[in-house]
Amino acid sequence: MSRADRLVFIAPRFSETGTIGGAETLLKSLAEHAAAAGRTVTFLTTCAQDHFSWANALPPGRRRCGGLDVHFFPVDDDRDVAAFLRIQAQMDRGVALTPRDEETWIQNSVNSRALCEHLRAHGGDYDRILAGPYLFGVTYNASRVWPAKTLLVPCLHDEPFAYLGILRGMFDRVAGCLFNSEPERDLARRLYGYPAGKSAVVGMGLEPFTADPAAFARRRGLTRPYVMYSGRRETLKGTPLLCDYLHAFRARTGRDVKLVLTGSGPVEAPPALLDHILDLGFVSEQDKHEAMAGAAAFVHPSVNESFGIVLLEAWLAGTPGLVHAGSAVLRWQCRRSNGGLWFRHYPDFEEALLRLLDDPALRRALGASGRRYVQTAYAWPAVEQRLFAALESRA
Amino acid sequence: MSEPWLEINAPGVDAEQLVAELRAAVERKTAEGVYADARIARAERMNLARLRDSDEFLNFYLQCLREATCVDIADFPIRERRRWLGRPLVALKQLIWNLLKFYTYRLWSQQNQVNGLLVTAVEGLDQKYAAKLRELERRVQALEAAAGAPPPAARPPAPPGPAGEGA
Repeated sequence: MSRADRLVFIAPRFSETGTIGGAETLLKSLAEHAAAAGRTVTFLTTCAQDHFSWANALPPGRRRCGGLDVHFFPVDDDRDVAAFLRIQAQMDRGVALTPRDEETWIQNSVNSRALCEHLRAHGGDYDRILAGPYLFGVTYNASRVWPAKTLLVPCLHDEPFAYLGILRGMFDRVAGCLFNSEPERDLARRLYGYPAGKSAVVGMGLEPFTADPAAFARRRGLTRPYVMYSGRRETLKGTPLLCDYLHAFRARTGRDVKLVLTGSGPVEAPPALLDHILDLGFVSEQDKHEAMAGAAAFVHPSVNESFGIVLLEAWLAGTPGLVHAGSAVLRWQCRRSNGGLWFRHYPDFEEALLRLLDDPALRRALGASGRRYVQTAYAWPAVEQRLFAALESRA
Repeated sequence: MSEPWLEINAPGVDAEQLVAELRAAVERKTAEGVYADARIARAERMNLARLRDSDEFLNFYLQCLREATCVDIADFPIRERRRWLGRPLVALKQLIWNLLKFYTYRLWSQQNQVNGLLVTAVEGLDQKYAAKLRELERRVQALEAAAGAPPPAARPPAPPGPAGEGA
């Protein structure tokens, strides 16, 4: 078994400073740790930063970012956005696509011919190519260049795109997959019959931190208990559901519980709840961690997760999770860690939140259990061990 | 290639057990009608697609829907979040509302009648098909008994269907 020394990571976006999407953060973190462990790591990405417009916001070229040699390539500017959106709308409505429509959709997703040309020319220099997430043209086309040495980091969700025949073909073609969780691997098995022997569950490491649970409330003058969510605010992430639930919870129980949000996107909430939402937008990691540490619970209402980075961060802050049972991944994390509870519908949510609010000892025990779990299962040495074992065995 | 994952068990905390206790409490309260509440019906609007496979939830949701069927046509406080021109804007909105409310009341009261009829129809359909299913199950059991087939509990388990997301 030879050591995979020369690695190339591919993701459609790369942030030189902050964070830019969960999957991109995960790939960047894995790349940085592989480089720190002495591997030669190159990162190929596009000049885009915004996942709606895919506009070339950064200058193309090669730059040193920390320990990484990053190549920025322009996004193709001849994509037929209208065709892409038309087919995507068909998918959302559950219309079965023809193979030709599927191909049109992926080829008009975010693509970079320059990136693929580079990979074609230099792919022989690398031992392994790690590309993800699964649903973008950049990943799809890159996986066709050197499939025998490509490992997908798919960040797979149970969503309409995952059922496309062309994406199934991509999973069949590549040398293996690095999944973030066992439920994600189970989903690939269910959708594509993906063999367990071609995959590994790796995940991402998190650096432990300490945060004062009282600091955030003190700074903001918050005197009432609050629950928290961090991340993009959109229907797919379940944030409107969380707002509706908290609104009903306040009205039915008479408890004055606030909602603290960090991240991006508009907040869709009943008007009467708006006065009880503290929307912080983008904040520093320190602020976010302190806000998490003071929350009665970190509520994760999304059913589209392959890992759940923010839930793990909340556990590191010592805060229990309250997650949607429809997410097999988040439920799995809560079950394994004993760090959180899960709800199927509003009555479950109300009962669980009342219990958490009324039982500080339980909150502390769940939070402590979650923290221990993250420090053990997602400590970087453990993740690196899983990553390198997968790379060496070609997954 | 996958390695065994660890289980971290904090002393005295068993999330699975806690969730089971919470669900038992929810079941009891549902039977007592604690959750038959229009506010819950409205709160579940984003979650219904995920609940459609749950028989118990459909019954519960129909109860909530019965509570929610009437559109609230009562007067409501008019507020203005902007400070600048806040009071004149509120006065203007109140004037417009006073001029229009007679017509909206007429519309909404008709809508309430339609909603009520629709919920009654859905409840009727649910009861009708539930009764049909019970009758068919009874007949299948009777036919199986006559043919000497083993009772359902003694049969080997059926192969699982596609893995669902339901908890």
